[in-house]
Amino acid sequence: MKIYLDNAATTRPNGRAVQRAMRWTEERWFNPSGLYREGLEVRADLKEARTYLCSRLGDPAEISLVFTACGSEADNQALFSFARRGNLVISGGEHAAIFAAASELKNRGIELRVAPLNGDGSVNEEGLLSLVDDKTSLVSVIHVNNETGAVNDVNALAAAVKKRNPRLYFHSDGVQAFGKIPYKLGAAVDLYSVSAHKIGGLKGVGGLFARKKAYSVLHPYIYGGGQEDGKRSGTENTFGIMQFRFAAEAKFAALAEDYARIKGYRDSLREGLDQSIFTSVSPENGTPYILTVSAQGLRGETLLHLLDDNGLIVGTGSACSSNVKKRYSRVILACGRTEAEADGILRISFSPETTADEVASAIKILNGCAAELKKRMNL
Amino acid sequence: MEQQSVIIIRYAEIYLKKKNRGYFERIFRNNIEAVLKAIPHKLTTAAGRYYVENFAEEDIDRLIDALKKVFGIHTMSIGRRVKSDMDEIYRAAAALCREEGSFKVETHRADKTFPLNSMEISRAIGGRLLAAKKNLTVDVHTPDFYVYLDLREDGTTLVFSEFFAGAGGMPVGTAGKGLLMLSGGIDSPVAGHMMAKRGMHVHCLHFHSYPYTNMQAKEKVEELAKILSPYTCGTRLYCVSVTHIQEEIHRKCAEELMVTLLRRFMFRIAEIVAQRHGIQCLITGESLGQVASQTIEGMTSSNSVVKKLPVLRPLVGFDKNEIIERSRAMGAYDISIQPFEDCCTVFLPRHPAIRPALDYIEAEEAKIDVYGLLEEALKTIEKIDF
Repeated sequence: MKIYLDNAATTRPNGRAVQRAMRWTEERWFNPSGLYREGLEVRADLKEARTYLCSRLGDPAEISLVFTACGSEADNQALFSFARRGNLVISGGEHAAIFAAASELKNRGIELRVAPLNGDGSVNEEGLLSLVDDKTSLVSVIHVNNETGAVNDVNALAAAVKKRNPRLYFHSDGVQAFGKIPYKLGAAVDLYSVSAHKIGGLKGVGGLFARKKAYSVLHPYIYGGGQEDGKRSGTENTFGIMQFRFAAEAKFAALAEDYARIKGYRDSLREGLDQSIFTSVSPENGTPYILTVSAQGLRGETLLHLLDDNGLIVGTGSACSSNVKKRYSRVILACGRTEAEADGILRISFSPETTADEVASAIKILNGCAAELKKRMNL
Repeated sequence: MEQQSVIIIRYAEIYLKKKNRGYFERIFRNNIEAVLKAIPHKLTTAAGRYYVENFAEEDIDRLIDALKKVFGIHTMSIGRRVKSDMDEIYRAAAALCREEGSFKVETHRADKTFPLNSMEISRAIGGRLLAAKKNLTVDVHTPDFYVYLDLREDGTTLVFSEFFAGAGGMPVGTAGKGLLMLSGGIDSPVAGHMMAKRGMHVHCLHFHSYPYTNMQAKEKVEELAKILSPYTCGTRLYCVSVTHIQEEIHRKCAEELMVTLLRRFMFRIAEIVAQRHGIQCLITGESLGQVASQTIEGMTSSNSVVKKLPVLRPLVGFDKNEIIERSRAMGAYDISIQPFEDCCTVFLPRHPAIRPALDYIEAEEAKIDVYGLLEEALKTIEKIDF
């Protein structure tokens, strides 16, 4: 069996949650918009799932949730809905879903301002604040950087930017944070994107949380039959949503315990790696779920193939953008890393399924393959 | 009775053949059958022409698209085949004829028993068309369009209004076999296409450097082989790993010669693979001076390791934009420009040698175990048929 340490790209679906959702869907397969009893039952279950998921972030009376097809859709909906005039401020560490959507808004005439990063991938707070003015309509800052694992204190950042301009909206991409790090939605955070498949859910389900005021003016991104309170048309992915709800329940129940255990894995991996080859890019105080390293002089992708052949699956940078022509990660370069460092990036990411034995083997495979490649390349 | 469509196929240079024309025609016919085999139809032949009939009308575009990839076809027409009877001919002509513009009816009468001669037939049919469609005029010198009538000896008449160009060239399989060194770039598929056009059955050889290159690069080459396949009546793709060769060169030889030495290995491997499979020549997409390894010195260095087989370089005198044009026309361009690295770019030297002397190359090469590496590389061969 191969060791899978690319859990920031996706996780194995929670099997029990799949089975629960399966049993559920065999009975409750009706259209939630149906006006008959069966439809109402499905709608009630979706509502319960929505309330449950909202309650993980705070008071469900204050927070609404729009189910989408993925985290990227949630990000896009937030940006296209709220960055309609003036300027849009994002951090240089955003996922492509934000970065590309913001670039498109720029093409459409919205001024785009990109805040600088600190060396670990977190946003530079001063830099961010200096970009915000009374023309800023939306600020979007990723919660956990998907490439380095750095955690932004989005609650504090939201409060700070709103001091400068109380009318702006604040969005955060929480895809790598939700269910993984302890977090309650701060009063100043208006919008928060999540994705099911990063925590044992299935691909095809995401969500955009919105505080009341933001929710009332949130525009749909997909128009149609008016599902999801008119905010996201299209018949709901009921099976996927219920499975997400069950998977989240399991994930949140073990959040603190997983956090501590995985932090141990990350630390032992960081220490076990050959320091003459690997330098850690991830900050000490980042999410324990991601350890990003740079293999000196080696190309991340070449090393990835060797690791793959030796039974270890890891990632290089952001899987969503690794087939784009641009070779170096925009985010890693924005951290102030050199092109050579960016070339050797490997992202190792854990899930609650990861075991201590796997981590011990991974250390051996990583060190062994890197040493072999160095030798083969005569470095 | 409903009149049925027919596709008329005329061949090109086979006309030049005399005693062995039958051999060429047989291969040509087999090639047509091969590309059309997925679509129900009937293929017949008479007097140097081929007729595709008895197909469903909705398949006509698929048939034409497939036929456009068959080398040896000079022109094609879509028309009707009817009984050689003036009313039947008129009905077919009226159905094909446009509603307005100037036209001319041109008749070819192979059936000399038909009571009217070709001038009389043209006049009669033209007159009836003119009377029936009031926005038509006759122009015998520069008409907007023609209506062609071809009265065959078997008592049927072909009615059609257009000639469109086929792929030209010679039927694939009439000019031996070649092994194309397929890199994944723009040039090599075009080179393969050009040799297939002259009747050569083309197989492909790709070199990869996994783990330094990725699987997408290999998938891309497979896509290119798939695109080339219908033009060359099927192709076999051989893939060989040159990873260890590159590592050895990198370790032991002058950096500036990486590409030169690697190419010599590739040509050696290509010749061995070709000879093992009864393939008579090597084909490359090289164009003189395009990159550092495609200088005359570079070609000399590569050729000097090929002992017996000729190395054909059909693009040698082409500009890049001419090659790109051909790549687009054969449908390979969009695949070729996908940004996956092939094996040449991984250990690329900063300054490759542009005009390396053969003595110097051979001296550097002597530092590595050429035959051991060749043997090892040949063990990695994989084959995929398209």
